[in-house]
Amino acid sequence: MPTSAAPIRVVLAKVGLDGHDRGIKVVARALRDAGMHVIYAGLWQTPEAVVRTVADEDADWLGLSLLSGAHLTLVPRVLHLLHEAGLDDVGVLVGGIVPEGDVAKLQEMGVARVFGPGTPLPEIVDFLRGHRRASHA
Amino acid sequence: MPDSLLERFRQRDRRALARLLSLAARGEILGENLAEIPEPAKPSRVVAITGSGGVGKSTLIGKLLDFLRHHGLTVAVLACDPQSPLTGGALLGDRFRMPVPPEDDGVFIRSLAATPGRGAVADHLRLLIRILEAYGFDVILLETAGAGQGDTAVQALVDCTVLLLQPESGDDLQWQKAGLLEVADVIAIHKADLPQAEQVEAQVRGMLSLSGGRPTPVLRVSAKTGEGVEALWTAIASQPLRRAKREAALSTKDQTVMVVPTDLVPEIQALIARRSGA
Repeated sequence: MPTSAAPIRVVLAKVGLDGHDRGIKVVARALRDAGMHVIYAGLWQTPEAVVRTVADEDADWLGLSLLSGAHLTLVPRVLHLLHEAGLDDVGVLVGGIVPEGDVAKLQEMGVARVFGPGTPLPEIVDFLRGHRRASHA
Repeated sequence: MPDSLLERFRQRDRRALARLLSLAARGEILGENLAEIPEPAKPSRVVAITGSGGVGKSTLIGKLLDFLRHHGLTVAVLACDPQSPLTGGALLGDRFRMPVPPEDDGVFIRSLAATPGRGAVADHLRLLIRILEAYGFDVILLETAGAGQGDTAVQALVDCTVLLLQPESGDDLQWQKAGLLEVADVIAIHKADLPQAEQVEAQVRGMLSLSGGRPTPVLRVSAKTGEGVEALWTAIASQPLRRAKREAALSTKDQTVMVVPTDLVPEIQALIARRSGA
């Protein structure tokens, strides 16, 4: 049964032009089954559209999936717009194909965690449960 | 509820609106707080869009958003999707089908999880609607979760209930059954670009002709081609603003409180609806 605590609200989105949404859908399902409310924003979102969704949905977390290689362009753009919108308390996760060398760069920019291919789903669930709000403020 | 949040809401801060809706959806605004939400400057037109899962509610709302924004009306959408009875989790995938320009402040979409067994809508909807109305939206669209034949609760919350049907959804006996078809104010045969839409329309019209009373508009609409979207809005907009009248009646000082067995509630609601519609 649902716990009395408010469910964690997570926006999941793909920014940019790659059309690979298998991974994000698997994650969406895992978070749903962990009792979270997943707002699925889907493919081909602009950074502006994603930030508008996070704001209007009053989300706790934003999960971005990128398999295009454009993460060092698009992720900072999203982080910048979140900051401009006063949404510094929203935690940002990145999933997809991110070269190892870029993980630290993304985390320095303010991404809470990067989850690569093969990540066990409970690891993502536990991370979200353990950090109700993340800190890129 | 912190005063600063209400103050920001009064100044039409969109983030304050988003936060207030969250508090309301979680049941954290109750009783005395309710009075602090400002009175709306004008009533919104509140429209429920209901129908079974996959009938195209979200996609059609996406088209309606285009149409309404083109005509200068501001719109809020409350989009309900089902919540798991086992885990409390939910996948809210409606807004994905409602692409709007992110810089357009005239549209606000909020996804909500509908508690199982509560008639395909989220809890505390009356309050959520009141908050959006106070913010000043011209139109509030309420999308139910994929609704079953008996999910009629939504009609008590809105001015107008639009029921979407689609081709290939059963023989003509389906339309004789009680429930959702009885409470719809407008019936739209969606996916009108598909074959047999005309046949469904004829069957539904045939069924309605047996029931007498006020004629329910029936029309064909296709989000894919855009056919019928304008006619659908015309049909919706020609319905009376029932809800405002009902709320006004509720807020008068001389209220009568009556305790009734819960199994009589639907009947009484139907009686009230018939009276206020007359």
